[in-house]
Amino acid sequence: MSVYDVVIVGSGASGGAVAYTLCQAGYKVAVLEKGRLIKREEFSKDELAYCRRDLVTPNLFDEYHTIEEKVDGEWITTPTYESGWSFWNGNIVGGSSNLMSGMLHRMHPDDFRLKSKYGEIEGANVVDWPISYEELEPYYTLTEELVGISGRVDKHPFEPPRSTVDFTQPPTKENAVVKLFDKSCQSLGITPLVTPRAVLSKDKPGRDACYYSNFCGSYGCSSGAKGSSREALLKPALATGNLTLLSNTYVKYLHTDKKDEVSHAVVVDTVTGKEKKIKGKIFVVAAQAHESARLLLNSANAYHPEGLGNSSGELGKNLIFSGGGSGQGELHKDSLKHIKFKELMTTGLFVNRSILDWYFIDHWWDGRFKGGSVEFMFEHQNIISRARKNGYEDGKLVWGKDLGERLVSRFTEQKSIRFEVFNDWLPNDNCFVSLDPVHKDKFGMPVGKLRVEGHPQDVKVGNYIAKKCEKVLEEMGAKNIYSAISSAPPQNLVAGGCRFGNDPKTSVLNKYCRSHDVKNLFVADASFMPTGGSVAYTWTIYANAFRVADHIVEALKKRA
Amino acid sequence: MKRRRFLILGSVLGLSPYMQAKEVSDFEKRFKKLAPTLSAVQEHLFPEGSNIPSAKSMNVTQFLFETMMHKSFDKDIKAFVLEGAKELEHREKGRFISMTDQEKEKALRAYEETNYGRNWLSRIMTLTMEGLFSDPIYGSNIQEAGWQAISSYGGLPRPTTRYIEL
Repeated sequence: MSVYDVVIVGSGASGGAVAYTLCQAGYKVAVLEKGRLIKREEFSKDELAYCRRDLVTPNLFDEYHTIEEKVDGEWITTPTYESGWSFWNGNIVGGSSNLMSGMLHRMHPDDFRLKSKYGEIEGANVVDWPISYEELEPYYTLTEELVGISGRVDKHPFEPPRSTVDFTQPPTKENAVVKLFDKSCQSLGITPLVTPRAVLSKDKPGRDACYYSNFCGSYGCSSGAKGSSREALLKPALATGNLTLLSNTYVKYLHTDKKDEVSHAVVVDTVTGKEKKIKGKIFVVAAQAHESARLLLNSANAYHPEGLGNSSGELGKNLIFSGGGSGQGELHKDSLKHIKFKELMTTGLFVNRSILDWYFIDHWWDGRFKGGSVEFMFEHQNIISRARKNGYEDGKLVWGKDLGERLVSRFTEQKSIRFEVFNDWLPNDNCFVSLDPVHKDKFGMPVGKLRVEGHPQDVKVGNYIAKKCEKVLEEMGAKNIYSAISSAPPQNLVAGGCRFGNDPKTSVLNKYCRSHDVKNLFVADASFMPTGGSVAYTWTIYANAFRVADHIVEALKKRA
Repeated sequence: MKRRRFLILGSVLGLSPYMQAKEVSDFEKRFKKLAPTLSAVQEHLFPEGSNIPSAKSMNVTQFLFETMMHKSFDKDIKAFVLEGAKELEHREKGRFISMTDQEKEKALRAYEETNYGRNWLSRIMTLTMEGLFSDPIYGSNIQEAGWQAISSYGGLPRPTTRYIEL
C-alpha cells in the first residue's frame, strides 16, 4: 500500500487550497471526499434536483445531525431527519464552494483582536487570534488572484488594507438597479461598496468568464467562472500528476499507532461498502467545521480517550455560525424611480453591492460595539420557490384563479431586492458539537450533536443593522419591506470547534493549525477560528488554508 | 418541530398501513387508488381558465407519482401525500371526486381549518408547483407553458437527465 505525503479529508475550499499548494510543491497528495464528482459540463440549472431534493447532500435518513435547542428552559434534541433541517452543505468534489454565491470580504484587522479592542462580553468566550491580519494578508491576496475574485477597490474607513493596488479582475456586470441603490445610499449619507465576488468577469486560463446565467448561488457553474475549489484548485492540482482524488470515500476515523502521530485513515468506499486504510505522513482534516470536530471525536482511542488531539477538552467547543439575518422589499413597475422597469427585469446581472458603514459602531447615543456587514442582492431567482411564496393571504392558502393572478403579477410587475446582514456569532458555552450518544449514521459512526444557542448580543446587533437597511430599501421606493433577524444558526456559515491558540491548555490547534497533541495532524477548514468576523467565511478559509499549506511544505522539507 | 408528529397528529385515521408500505408496487397500487382524489384536488387548486396553466393540461398527477417514486424523495412526505388524500375522502364520505366546484371549495376550505388538512393542502400545492415550474424533462411544464405564463425561464444549461443522473 502506498503512503501519501499528505492525506486530506474533504475537498472543499480549504482541502483544495492545501492540495493545490502541496501538489505544486511536488508532494504526493490524496484527497478523500465523501461525495461524488460532478464535472463542469455535467452541472445544470435544474431547480428540482439541486434545490428541492437532497441530491448534492446526503439523504437525512442515512446521514444526519441531532440539534439541541432550548425549549421552555429545557434542552431538546431533534434529529435532522425529523425536522428536515439539513446541516450538510454540498457533499460533492469541491464541497459547498461549488454552490456558493461567492460574495466575499476579507476580515478586518480588528477582527483578529476583538477582545483587546472591545473587551470581554459577558456570556461570550471572545479571545484574540494568535495571528494578525498582516500575517494573513498575503494569502488573502493569493486567493484573490488564484481563486479569482473580481471587484473594485473603493476607499472606506472599514475596508481592510491591501498589499496590491486593485483586483486583477474588474467587477462582474451589474443590473441597472445599482444606479437606484447608489443614489439612495448617497442621499442617506451611506457609502455603497462594490462586493468582491468569487466569479470571473474575464477569462482565466482553463476557465471562462461569467455568462450571467441568472442562477448562481446553489448551483454549480458551467463556465468555470465561479471560484470553486474544484475549478480553481483541484483541477490544476490534478494536472500536476501528484493528486489522487478519491471521491465516494467516507472517512470513519483516523488511527494512531503512537500517541503523537496519525498512521492511517479508515475509510469506506460508499459505492462498494468496502473498508480500507489510507496511509500518510501528514493528515489534514478539512471536512467543514462541525464534521471535522466530529471526525476527531470519533477517532478517540486509548491514547486519546476524549477524542484525537483533545487534551485541552476544547475539541468541538465554541462552534460559531454567523449572526444576522435578511430582509426584503419589492420594487414595483408602477412606482419605480430613476431606472426603467425593463432594465430592472434584465436577468442574470449582479447587484454587487455591500455596506460596511456599520462594521464598527461608535455613536454618541447607540454606543460603541462591533457591528457587521451587509450584502444586497436580488431575491434568488429560483422559480419554484418564488412561486411558492405566494401561497398565503391573511393566513389562508391562496388557490384557483386568484393564485394565477398573483403569480403573474409577482413575476412580471415587480422584482424583490434583498439584503443579508452578517454580524459576529459570539462564541459561547451553549454552542458546540459533541458526539450523539445514541444516533449513528449509516456507516455505523456516531453523528454530531450540535447545540446551537446564540448570544443575545448577536440579535441586538443584527436588528440594529437591519433597521438601517430597511431605510435604504425605503429610500429606493421598495414596498412591503420586512426583515427577519434570528438567533437560529445559518447552517451554511459554520466555523470554530477546533480553536487555534498559543496555549495547549485552552486551544486545540497551534497558530499553524497543527494539533497541539498530534504532530502530523492539521485542521485546515474554518474550525480554527476563535471568532468569526462579520463577513462570510469563505475568503478567510481559502486564505488560511494557503497559509497552513505553506507551513506543511516547510514541515515536509524539514522531514526530508 | 417534529415532522412526523405534525404529519400524523390530527389525522382521524392515524397511522394507516401506508406508513409501513415498503414495496414499490404496493405504493404504486395505493397511489393509483387515490389518484382520482389527488387529481381532483390538484385540478381544483389549479383550474382551467387561470393565468397559469391548469393541472389538467400539465400532467401533474403523473408528475406527483414519478417524483415521489424517486429515491431522493422523503419517505415520510410520500406517505403523508396518500394519507391526506385518504383523510379527505374519509371526511367527505368518499364523495369528494364527484362534487361540484362549489362543494369542493367548501370541502377543501373546511379541511384547511384543521392543521393536518392545511399542511396537506400546502404540500399538494408545493408538489404541484414543482411540476408546473420545473424543467419540462420532469414531465410537467409541457412546452414550458408554466414558465411562459410568468415570463420566467430556467437557467442554462438545462438538465439532460432527471435528478442529476450522470
